[in-house]
Amino acid sequence: MKKIEEIRTRLEIAKNNLDKGEKNNESGNAASLGKALKISTELVASVVVGSLMGFLLDSWFDTKPLLTIVFFFMGVTAGILNVFRSAKKMHHK
Amino acid sequence: MATNPMHQFEVYKIGPEINLGGVNLSFTNASLFMTISSMLILLFLFLGTKKKSLIPTKMQFVTEASYTFVAKMINDTAGSSAKSFFPFIFTLFMFVLFANMVGMLPYSFTVTSHIIVTFVLAAIVFIGVTILGFVKHGFKYLELFVPKGVPVVLLPLIVIIEIISYLSRPVSLSVRLFANMMAGHTMLKVFGGFVISLGLLGGWLPLGFSVALTGLEILVAFLQAYVFAILTCIYLNDALNLHH
Repeated sequence: MKKIEEIRTRLEIAKNNLDKGEKNNESGNAASLGKALKISTELVASVVVGSLMGFLLDSWFDTKPLLTIVFFFMGVTAGILNVFRSAKKMHHK
Repeated sequence: MATNPMHQFEVYKIGPEINLGGVNLSFTNASLFMTISSMLILLFLFLGTKKKSLIPTKMQFVTEASYTFVAKMINDTAGSSAKSFFPFIFTLFMFVLFANMVGMLPYSFTVTSHIIVTFVLAAIVFIGVTILGFVKHGFKYLELFVPKGVPVVLLPLIVIIEIISYLSRPVSLSVRLFANMMAGHTMLKVFGGFVISLGLLGGWLPLGFSVALTGLEILVAFLQAYVFAILTCIYLNDALNLHH
């Protein structure tokens, strides 16, 4: 019985320490690095997808360079939009 | 001894060649390491849950911590309605984590450094989330592509941009994991090669870098698994709770 009592107090102390530690660690280095890696690929992926879409549509409609160029810029816009949204989401947290 | 830093990514078959209807289904080193990762996950969870004591042993604690970690992540990013997707997210997280970590062992093979593996994982998430969105909201799910408060003149442009942004999700999800793993392992190999070629005299500096990079790679291995899982949660949240 005494052992359980002892464990309970130790748990209580550990919990308190955990709560304190969590507040300091909330914007820890690892999480920030994760976010940075996330944003960088988001920008690139949209440009690639946009250009690819333009290229495919070009092959369909036989309008060779035109749609690729237009969709490339749309991809850039989408990429910037994605980055902007992620940044906004982080800010709210 | 291979001096080519890209040599480690080579896929070769182990055992006999299996051809099924023109599709090559041979067992490769990639399949072997995927199997090893899956088996290690099973072993890890089995050992952790074997003796369910009130005061956990170290093994049980690690297992329970991984459970709470993923459960908390789902609750924080996708809300309580996503609780039923816990098995899927947990499987995804553990598979990516173990594949990355097994790749950190010398003489092993990093499954996630191949884009086809990460792209299939991302495609499963993408297709699953899209189907879920349509099942849950019907054609109202298409509202995701039409932001509120946009002038009608700009609407065609915005819709195309939103569609590109939506389609870029699986690409960014898979490229991130693949590029990080491949770049990290290439860099480790390059610095390892420097140690050999500079010899006893000048090899100590790259050796130090190698040690530091190994630490960084272990962090990245965990981080990429975490980012993969958390982005799946975010996409799940978009599909479950439609808002824009």
